[in-house]
Amino acid sequence: MNPTAEATLGPFFPPRYVDAGANDLTRFGRRRAKGEAIEIRGRVRQEDGAGLDNLMLEIWQADAQGIFRHPADPRSARADPGFLGWGRTVTDARGNYVLRTIRPGAPEGRAPHINFMVMYSGLMRILKTTMYFTNDVDAVLSAVPASRRGLLVARKQGSDRYRFDIRLRGENETPFFDD
Amino acid sequence: MQTLIEPRDERTQPARIVPGYPQTPLRNPREPLVRRRPTLSELTGPLEVARRVKLLGGDIAGRGKKQAIGQLIHLRVRVLDEDGTPVGGTVVEMWQANAAGRYIHPNDDDHAPPDPNFYGAARLVTDENGLFELRTVKPGAYPVPTRDGWWRPPHVHFSVFGKVWLSRLVTQMYFPGEPLNAQDRILNAVPDPAARERLVAQLVPPSGKPHDALAYEHRIVLRGRAQTPVQR
Repeated sequence: MNPTAEATLGPFFPPRYVDAGANDLTRFGRRRAKGEAIEIRGRVRQEDGAGLDNLMLEIWQADAQGIFRHPADPRSARADPGFLGWGRTVTDARGNYVLRTIRPGAPEGRAPHINFMVMYSGLMRILKTTMYFTNDVDAVLSAVPASRRGLLVARKQGSDRYRFDIRLRGENETPFFDD
Repeated sequence: MQTLIEPRDERTQPARIVPGYPQTPLRNPREPLVRRRPTLSELTGPLEVARRVKLLGGDIAGRGKKQAIGQLIHLRVRVLDEDGTPVGGTVVEMWQANAAGRYIHPNDDDHAPPDPNFYGAARLVTDENGLFELRTVKPGAYPVPTRDGWWRPPHVHFSVFGKVWLSRLVTQMYFPGEPLNAQDRILNAVPDPAARERLVAQLVPPSGKPHDALAYEHRIVLRGRAQTPVQR
């Protein structure tokens, strides 16, 4: 069977869609995640440079040991019980977002990274990208033309803060993946 | 359990830039999308979203004095993978306009009245057969502020997680026989007529008592096939 056609999220997803605390991955249930807590901030902009309000971002990542909390990961039995690895946030009126999480370890065969999804009014399909901490060898990053790889590397701003801006179209356009 | 993700037939998916939908050329990438081979990172995903978000029951029409205005409907939706295997235990989110075509969202303008008895959203988990049911009212059509007379037909938004990151889906469901379906720019951004038809729910004979609601069935197919791990 063919997968169902995607459609835009639209502008009118309900106000309570993003639960309080959904952008904080450092806690799961009553537990606290192991590892180095970090904050990621960024701004999402369109072609004319305008920041985009009411845009939804979701992330998925491995825990501090590089383990995904999912049975397909052969190491999942040892996944951190205090870390789900998923979170969601919505941009403010200027297009800014903030996420709190832990710095992921390196999953097998990959550099440490965080998967991002962009859902928004006017995006007929989910846009998928990946944030890195360094421009090191990585199976997914190496698929990106070398001149654009730096756009996927977050800028370090202090000991536990990173900045990852997302440009949907235009100058310094973020590389997105076709899966 | 491992999941195999294959490329989709592009004709069954919407164009990214849609004529007459003025935001689309500003927001969709100009550069070609980068092809990658999925790794464990994309072939895993959150399975316990229900522990992270607040679930809202599937009866959103209300009862008695608190019943929403509009035509009561029952929606029975089945979530499957590409092999037709039910996707149970996954979080589904839905939202819709009220019967007058107005969303609860503060950004929606004043073209139609809000209904104090209708929030218009649910969040639930599919059962082991991939099923979920909603009791709601039929959403109204509404105008898109484009100045050229584009009206969205009645539709329901769905967001579904599935088993892995690449099975995540955001889609819309339409109603059969609606004259606005033929002109809707979002529905018709999908090139393949059969794929568009699959976005339209089916009217079915009402079941259960009392017979106070029209009944519709719908199917959502997520990306992916279950794959038996290969012994090495």
